[in-house]
Amino acid sequence: MTTLLKETLDSQSIYMPTPARIVDTVELTDLEKVFKLKLPSGFELNHRPGQFVQISVLGIGEAPISICSSPSRSTGGTFEICVRRVGNVTNAMHALKPGALIGVRGPFGRGFPIERFRGKDILFVPGGLGLAPLRSLINEVLDERGKYGRIIILYGSRSPKDLLFQAELKEWQRRADIECHVTVDRPDENWTGNVGVITTLFPKVTIHPRNMVSVVVGPPVMYRYVLMELLGKGIAEGNIWFSFERRMKCGVGKCGHCQMHHIYTCQEGPAFSYAEIKHLEEAL
Amino acid sequence: MSFRIMPKAAVPDWITWLRSRYRVVGPRQLKDQFVFDEINSPDELSLDYPTSILPPKKYLLPPTEELFQFTTKGMHTKASLEPRPTVIMGVHTCDMHAIQLLDRVHNTGYADQHYQARRQNTYLVSIECLNPCTEHSFCKDMGTLSVPENFDLHLTDLGDEYGVDIGSEKGEELLRGFASVWDPTEEDYRHVNQVMAEKWPRFSYRFNFDVTELPDLLALSTKSSYWNELGDLCLGCGMCTKVCPTCYCFNVKDEVDLSLTEGHRVRIWDSCQVDEFALVAGGHNFRSTRALRQRHRFFRKGKYQLEAYGLIGCVGCGRCAAACLVHITPVKTFNELYRRHKQGEAVEAQS
Amino acid sequence: MSPKPTVAFFEFTSCEGCQLTVVDSLQDHPELLDAIDIVQFREAMSEKSDSYQIAFIEGSCTRPSDEAKIRAIREKAAIVVALGACAHLGGINAIRNRSDMQEVREYVYGDKANWFPTYEPRPISAIIKVDAVLPGCPIDRNELVKAVTHLLQGRMPQIPDQPMCIECKLKENVCVYTQGKVCLGPITLAGCDAICPTYGDGCEGCRGTISNPNFQSLREVMLEHGVSEEEIESRLTMFMTNQILAMAKAQ
Repeated sequence: MTTLLKETLDSQSIYMPTPARIVDTVELTDLEKVFKLKLPSGFELNHRPGQFVQISVLGIGEAPISICSSPSRSTGGTFEICVRRVGNVTNAMHALKPGALIGVRGPFGRGFPIERFRGKDILFVPGGLGLAPLRSLINEVLDERGKYGRIIILYGSRSPKDLLFQAELKEWQRRADIECHVTVDRPDENWTGNVGVITTLFPKVTIHPRNMVSVVVGPPVMYRYVLMELLGKGIAEGNIWFSFERRMKCGVGKCGHCQMHHIYTCQEGPAFSYAEIKHLEEAL
Repeated sequence: MSFRIMPKAAVPDWITWLRSRYRVVGPRQLKDQFVFDEINSPDELSLDYPTSILPPKKYLLPPTEELFQFTTKGMHTKASLEPRPTVIMGVHTCDMHAIQLLDRVHNTGYADQHYQARRQNTYLVSIECLNPCTEHSFCKDMGTLSVPENFDLHLTDLGDEYGVDIGSEKGEELLRGFASVWDPTEEDYRHVNQVMAEKWPRFSYRFNFDVTELPDLLALSTKSSYWNELGDLCLGCGMCTKVCPTCYCFNVKDEVDLSLTEGHRVRIWDSCQVDEFALVAGGHNFRSTRALRQRHRFFRKGKYQLEAYGLIGCVGCGRCAAACLVHITPVKTFNELYRRHKQGEAVEAQS
Repeated sequence: MSPKPTVAFFEFTSCEGCQLTVVDSLQDHPELLDAIDIVQFREAMSEKSDSYQIAFIEGSCTRPSDEAKIRAIREKAAIVVALGACAHLGGINAIRNRSDMQEVREYVYGDKANWFPTYEPRPISAIIKVDAVLPGCPIDRNELVKAVTHLLQGRMPQIPDQPMCIECKLKENVCVYTQGKVCLGPITLAGCDAICPTYGDGCEGCRGTISNPNFQSLREVMLEHGVSEEEIESRLTMFMTNQILAMAKAQ
């Protein structure tokens, strides 16, 4: 067994993808699909929650996609990515059927420092597609539930039909050892849950800031408002974590596209604590 | 390593001799300017050139470079990693410093095998600058007026002959078997020292401060209104980044044939000065104005690269200053930031 | 994509030079004919079918009566591509928008002016939704082949939002401003491989501008190079009249 990254480094070009097979696809919404990928035999992805892979559809191009399966559930060379259809590469991916090959490089970047979260309460705040990278971390934490304090998940989405991973959401809401609340901006006639932006969920949970880590992943506009809530609750800046979406062309700290001031997001991120990026105006 | 003397009259034979073994590129005239290009006959080579439009970087990082070839069915891939052994003649010391930085960038963290392959197959023949090349250069300020130790051969114009410093085994290789070089005499050494000693005073400082202060000056100038003034002026044409010997950002594209079966992935020089460079999904642009983009460029050159790689990101070649149609230049920019900083300090001291 | 997509070409007010470039491209790249099925192309063939998936429209719309024809194309075609500067921007034809329309008609048609109900030339996108654009006067043949390739891949051709100076410098051309020429390269959309500066002429801006052009700064560059105000306006409005007029209106 070797890791994909070692293969990428040892192969002739760090920019050349390894073919992985699509073993399953699950349509989550009109725009989002989960792809279960299998690496060639003998390879493991060996990623950390929060890391991403560069996915290629040869002839179309390459795009960075976060890994949405937890390391604990990515065995035998399989892993999952959740892809929103927004550009050429992601559109082409959506047209691919199980059995097709797709190019993979990575995993790249620094994931979340999960070992520093042990023993703490964790407040997950995913917005929209932000649940994809967070699902990797959430499931990793849940698979070792005893190592962490309270688990709180506050998930916001545009509308009920845009909710991702609905089966898992139901399971998280049912479990007694998870506090999971969901809100939508625009309800439909069957929606009985909370309506409003994600910050309207904060009054539903009590927060003890001294022992809390919060991990927030969502669209740029969401970060500011959630950040105000979290700082207002007294959570330390170093305990508030984000993940940034940047258009990496290489994933290996060369192409320059993801550089915020002096920081290459693909190398030092995409996971950052607020303490690390609060002085960077290009970050938030 | 060691030092030899080559008469200028022997250079054409040397070029011809080299050409039988390697691809030889060097400065040659194009209209009233110079470009690095393949030297097909010795008379095309102009070792006494002021500067080139593009730096010799283009042989290490070609403007468009194939990364690998592929088939769309079955996903067969083949890396494109077989560069031709190439001798780059007449590299100025500023560009040698730039290559030193590029070496560090591409060998640090994840190594870039494409750059490494080209670099390993490249022979650098640098040349001592004895006179300021253009009105735009400021190598003396940047500390790039003498050659770093990455040359294979380094030439010094001694009038009728060249002094040839041999910097590496690869440099030895370029002379091995070529008859018209000889060991220097005491007189030759004296001559070299005289030529070198006479050169320094011909160059002047153009910064109003010492370059070691530049990173701090920039840090203090993050919020300067000068960036907005540059942003109003800047055309956003990106020429400054194209001609820069230390710029290496790139975009990646797939090109595929009309039957959609075969193609290749290429990387193309990109520019942080164009609007779409920092665009992310959903239309958010995290460096959305020309002012912020100019600031990013100058911070990369004067601060970020130094912090990341230990070498300053500007080598003072002056190409961006010459190319800029609205006369945005590093010298003017850094001096103006310095002036405003000093002015601010003075105002503070008074109040 | 199989079977081959059906493609039709149409022209409105134009010189048909872009269609001629398509014909040229078919000779350079005969494999285009293996990839697409051309069912209507007045300039190149006599057969004609009204069933097509992709429509390339050359020319600007200069008469109210053209609008219905353009809408009819939109209804039939799944994808509409504006072919060349006239369809993309209004083109050279739009120069007349700088003047009073009645005066222009009388200048051209004399006492028959009222026989010709022409109006301000406008791009095809002023009439219908256009899915993609091939800019230029004429279009660039490599860009055409690339656009067809992208359409075959099921994606829309996109022109990178970059100024021509980028391409020009990648080719290591001597900047034409240093040769006493005037060039709109700093604000013009790249994609033509900087063809005019490569042959020593200044860019005339036939591809339209990048999304965020700094007109003011470029005007000052031209003034500095001894170009008169009048000459500057005439250069900027050669292909960009509609854009300049829209900007003046917005201010």
